[in-house]
Amino acid sequence: MSRQIVLILLLGALFAVFTMSIIELEGLYNAFGKEYFLEYGQSDTGSNNLVTAILLDYRLFDSLFEAGILLIAVSGVIWISKHDIEEKNARFMIDKFKTPDLFITFSRLVYPLMLAFGFYVIINGHLSPGGGFQGGTIVATAILILYYIDADKETNIGLIVTVEKIVYLLIIVLASVSIVTRGTFFTNFFPLDATQDTKAIYLVLLNVLIGFKVALGLWTIFTAFLKEGR
Amino acid sequence: MNPILTFLVVLIGFYGLSTSDNVIKSVFSVTIIESGVILLFLNLGNFEGGSVPILSEGVTQIVDPLPQALMITTIVIGSTVTALSLMLCIKVFHHYGTVEWKEVLSREDVKS
Repeated sequence: MSRQIVLILLLGALFAVFTMSIIELEGLYNAFGKEYFLEYGQSDTGSNNLVTAILLDYRLFDSLFEAGILLIAVSGVIWISKHDIEEKNARFMIDKFKTPDLFITFSRLVYPLMLAFGFYVIINGHLSPGGGFQGGTIVATAILILYYIDADKETNIGLIVTVEKIVYLLIIVLASVSIVTRGTFFTNFFPLDATQDTKAIYLVLLNVLIGFKVALGLWTIFTAFLKEGR
Repeated sequence: MNPILTFLVVLIGFYGLSTSDNVIKSVFSVTIIESGVILLFLNLGNFEGGSVPILSEGVTQIVDPLPQALMITTIVIGSTVTALSLMLCIKVFHHYGTVEWKEVLSREDVKS
């Protein structure tokens, strides 16, 4: 009991420190960045969606490492779970006879719709809310439903991870093409005065590659979880 | 939303992290802390009446797109960290047969 009281006192002290420092937070923030993006964002990058403009053009360096961290986490998950798979020869967690028939039937109906919606979100990433990361997650969720439809499905994790690494290399190569055409790293490889539709080709290509990579990475993660059995 | 409320979410996560005995609950607490940080950042550029940062005809007042772009990174990294921690929880369960911190630490072969 006394430990809880001490804990609550400590949390209260943290709260007081934050409340005192929050007054300066409003002064630290300024809207200059927002005004710049509003005025030049569309003509610079060719993207209506300003979040995509920042993610795939202004701050592409960040996004590259973001995708790289996903790859590292996938490698970690596989490395941690690897020994169990070989030792126990584990089966999938989903039991075909315990899953309700209604669930399986509706999974078959929903699966193509989810795939189509995922591809829509990926391809329209520069026009509407969404992009490679979000659409890739939707596609990966659709693939997760596939396991409910066919419980005996075998997945070759090694092949998926190899494809994912190749796609990640392709992303880096596509992001670096601008050193040849424009003279700077990690930006759109079309010249700055190209039309908006021309620049959108680069955005769609990069979005598709990132979406593909994220979908493969998440697919690997939950296949590793399913194979843990239990 | 007030920034102080977002910090309350972070404090709830801290409380859960320090009081929970279950490993999986600790992972959930880390996720709650992360949600508080995400809310704080999204709150920064937000204001009443601002529209989403997607340019179309007639849009003049938008919220700041920069914190939103940064928070995509946070969400992706948070999900991968959660996946890695949960896989470690599975390993702990396979090795010790329990996911309670105190039971694992009271075992003789564990040096705390």
